[in-house]
Amino acid sequence: MSLSTLPNNSPTLNNTISTLSLDFTVSFSQFETAIKQNISIDNITGIYGDSGSGKSTLLRVIAGLEKQAKGQVSFNEVTLQNSEKRDFVKAESRNIGLVFQDSRLFPHLSVYENLAYGAKRRKNPKLTIEEVLTLTQLTSLQYQNVSQLSGGEKQRVSIARALLAEPKLLLLDEPFSALDKTTKSQMLTFLKTIQQQLQLPMLYVSHSLSELQYIAEQLVVVSAGKISHVAPIHQAIHYLNNRGETSVKTSLSLTIAEHLPEYGLTRLKFNELQSTEQSIYLPLLALNSQRSDEESLIGQQLPCMIYARDISLCLTEPEHSSIVNHLPATITAIDYNNTNALITLKCAEQVFYAQISLWSAIRMALVVNANIYLQFKANAVHSYHYTGSITHA
Amino acid sequence: MTDISADILALVTTLKMAAVTAVILLLIGTPLAWYLAKWQSRFKVFFEAIVALPLVLPPTVLGFYLLLAFSPTSLPGELWQSATGSQLAFSFSAIVIGSVLYSLPFVVQPLQKAFEQLGDHHLEAAAMLGAGPIDRFFSIVFPLTKASFITATVLGFAHTVGEFGVVLMIGGNIPGETRVLSIALFDHVEAFNYANAHILSAGLLIASLLLLSLVYLLGNNLNSNLNKKQRVTKL
Amino acid sequence: MGKLMPTFLSKVSLACAIGCMLFASTTFAITEKAQAKPLRIAVAANFAPALKILLDDMPNKEQFNLQIISAATGTLYLQIKHGAPFDLFLSADATRPELLEQAHLTLENSRKTYALGQIALWSATQPVSHLNALTHYAGKLAIANPETAPYGTAAQQALTYLSLWPKIKSNLITGININQTFQQVRSQAVPLGIVANSQLVMNKLSGVIIPTHYYQPITQQLVIIKSSRQVALAKKISDYILQTNSQAKLQSLGYLAVTSSNPLDEAKR
Repeated sequence: MSLSTLPNNSPTLNNTISTLSLDFTVSFSQFETAIKQNISIDNITGIYGDSGSGKSTLLRVIAGLEKQAKGQVSFNEVTLQNSEKRDFVKAESRNIGLVFQDSRLFPHLSVYENLAYGAKRRKNPKLTIEEVLTLTQLTSLQYQNVSQLSGGEKQRVSIARALLAEPKLLLLDEPFSALDKTTKSQMLTFLKTIQQQLQLPMLYVSHSLSELQYIAEQLVVVSAGKISHVAPIHQAIHYLNNRGETSVKTSLSLTIAEHLPEYGLTRLKFNELQSTEQSIYLPLLALNSQRSDEESLIGQQLPCMIYARDISLCLTEPEHSSIVNHLPATITAIDYNNTNALITLKCAEQVFYAQISLWSAIRMALVVNANIYLQFKANAVHSYHYTGSITHA
Repeated sequence: MTDISADILALVTTLKMAAVTAVILLLIGTPLAWYLAKWQSRFKVFFEAIVALPLVLPPTVLGFYLLLAFSPTSLPGELWQSATGSQLAFSFSAIVIGSVLYSLPFVVQPLQKAFEQLGDHHLEAAAMLGAGPIDRFFSIVFPLTKASFITATVLGFAHTVGEFGVVLMIGGNIPGETRVLSIALFDHVEAFNYANAHILSAGLLIASLLLLSLVYLLGNNLNSNLNKKQRVTKL
Repeated sequence: MGKLMPTFLSKVSLACAIGCMLFASTTFAITEKAQAKPLRIAVAANFAPALKILLDDMPNKEQFNLQIISAATGTLYLQIKHGAPFDLFLSADATRPELLEQAHLTLENSRKTYALGQIALWSATQPVSHLNALTHYAGKLAIANPETAPYGTAAQQALTYLSLWPKIKSNLITGININQTFQQVRSQAVPLGIVANSQLVMNKLSGVIIPTHYYQPITQQLVIIKSSRQVALAKKISDYILQTNSQAKLQSLGYLAVTSSNPLDEAKR
C-alpha cells in the first residue's frame, strides 16, 4: 500500500465529535498556564504556539501527567480530574494515548515487544498487533532492536505502540519536529491516513504552522499560557496573518481534479460550494506516472498553502507569462507597512494574500474593490502531502 | 575445640547473615531509593545524609547505640522481647538488623543513582500505555536498572560479610549465632593463631575480589547489552 | 514471549533462594537446640590462649559444651551490662568485675582473682638483657593504653618508678589493649615495648621481666553472671581455674600464681 492512497471513506462518515472540557491552572516556578476552553475534536485538532507558550503543558494535563494542576478536566462528559473534589484519574486509567517528541521507546524491548506492551494492557482489544504492523508498515522491522531504528521509524513505532493501547483520544506532542522535511512529509501523510482509517480523534501539538495546516482541521492557538483563538484551520491561519505573528500565507483546501504528467502538473479545483470554475496548478503529485493508484487521489481534498510573498498582482490577465496560475480577484483591503504592502483579495469566496513592494502598490494605484489578477508559480503551492512510498533508509 | 569446625560454623553464620541482610536490604532499600530519587524537597538532603551516615560513622559507634537500643532494658529491646519472646541483643536477629543499617548506603545509593538516571521519560510513556505503578516497576524500571540491582545486592552482601564493628558490639561473638568470619579472624589474630588467621584472611580476600569482579563484569555486560543489543529473537 | 521467560525465571529463582534461606535458618536453629546448652565463658582477649590451654587439660571436658568468647574486657563488660547471655566472665582487670558486682549482675561471692599479670620489656629487633636499655632510649616505645588497659597502667607505673615517664611520655605508641601492643612490637613496627610476660612465654620468646614491686599488681578477676542458668557448671570451671594445678600451669605460662598475697581468696578455700 502506498501512502498516496487516501482511504475511500469520506472523513464525515461515522465520525463522532469528542469534547474536551478544560478549566485549569498549573504553575511552574514563574510561568502559569491557565486554560478555560471547551474543545470539540473532529478528526485532528492542532495546537499551535511558540515554544514555552504552554501547549505541551496543556497536553500533559489532558494526559494526566500534571497532577498538581488546579481546576477540572473532562473528556466526553467524563471527569478526568477535579481538584476541588480531589478527583484524579491516573494517566494509566484515562485511556488517552500520548506520542512524545522523543519517541520514548523502551530500549530493552524489540519493536514487536514495544507494540505488545501497549496491546497487553488494553481492555477491549479490537486491533491486532499484526494489523497495526501492516498499517504502520513496520512488519519487516518487528524483530529489530529499537536503538537501530532511524528517527522516522522510531516515531512510527511510537505511534503504532500508542494505537495498540486503543485510546479514545491520541495526543501528539511535536511528534515529527526532529525529522527532516521529506521524512516529516511522509509521516504527516501517513498519520492522516491512519486517523481517517481508525476515526481516532487526535490533538496534535506543533510550533510549525505548515505542519498543522496540512494535518489539522481545526486550530487552537496558545500564547503566554492561555488559549487565544480556536477556529477551523484556514480561518485560524488567516487570523494569525492579521496578527502579524507569522509570515503571511494563504491557506486553503482544494480538490484534486486531474494529473497532467505530460506537463508535470496536477490540477486542483475549488470546492463545489465556491462558485468558480477556476483551477490551480501545482507540480505533479504522483511522481511515478506508471503507478496505478495515482488516479485514486482524484476527488480528494488537498490542504495547501501559498506564501503572500509568492503572489504577485497584474492589472490585466497575464496570458503570456511563464507563471502558470492566474486568477481574477477583488481587492478587499490594503495594509501599508514600512517596506511593503499587504493586499487582501477575494476570488469567489476564497481569500488570498499578496505581499508586494510599496513601489508597485503606488505605481499600480491599487484601491479597495478594484478588480485585478493575481498570479503565482506552480511550485509556490506548498503541500505536505507525500507522494512517494515510505523508504526504510 | 577444633578451630576448623568453628571457622566453618562462623562461615555458615556469615553467609546466612549476609544473605538475609541482602534480601531485607533489597526489600526496604528499593522503595527508599525510589522515594529519595523522586522526592523533591529541601529536607531530602537530610535523609540522604542519614542513609550515608554508616559510610562515615565508625561502626563501633553505630554498634554502641544499637547495643543500648537492643538491650532488654530499653524500649525497642523490650518491645522485641514481648513480641517475639526472645531477647534481641546478642541474637542473630540483632546482627541482621545491625548489618541492614550498616550496609544500607551500599544498596540505596546505587539504586537511587540508577533511578535518578532513568528519569521519568519511560515511566510516563508506560503510564500512557496503561501500566500502573507496580506494573511499571517490574516492566520498565527493573529491566532497565538490572545492572544496578545486581551491584546493590552484591555490594550489600559483600559489605555485610566484611562487617566487624557493629557485629562485635551487638553480637557478643556467640558461636553458631553471632560469631561471624571477621570476628573469628580477629580472635585468631588476638590468640596469635596466625596460621588460621592467614587462611581466613586469604579466603575472605579472594572471595571478595571474585565477587566484586563478577559485579563489574555483569554490570559491563548488561550495560553494553542494553546499548547495542544485536538481538534477533523469534517471538 | 521470549523476553517474558527470563524475567519470570529470575523471579522464581529469587523466591526459591529466599525459601532456601528460611529453610536453612530454621533447620539450623533446630540442630542448635538439639545440643546441650553451652556454657559461655567470656574472656579477656589476652587470657583466651591461656584459658584454652587450661581447659584442654580439664578432666571429662568432653561432657561439657564450653564456648569461649573472647573480646576486649571493656566490650565484654558493656555487653554483660546490656544482657549478653554469658555465664562466666574472666576479666583482664579487677575494676569491671567490681562494677558488675555493684550493679548486682553477678552471683554473690563469685568474684575471685584468678591470675596476676606480669609485664616485660621486649624487642623483636635486638636482644634486650636489662632495663638499662630504657635509660638512654630515644626511639618509640609501645605500651598499652594506660587509661583503659591494666597492662598499660602497670607499664606507666613502672616507667614512673624508673623516673623515665616524663622523658618517654612523648615517644609512646599506645595500643588499645596489650595484644595490639604485642603485635606492634612483634611486627617490628615499634622497636621496643612493654608487653605481657605471658605473651612472651606462650610464643616462646623472652624479654626482661619488670620487677613486680615497680607497679601495682595486675589483678585479673572472674565473676559468675547472675542470669546464668548453669551456675553449678560455672562454679566448677571457676574452681578448676583456681585450683593449685591450674595456678601452677598459669605460672609456667608467664602469670604470677594467686598466692597468700590475696588472703581474701585464700581464706575461702
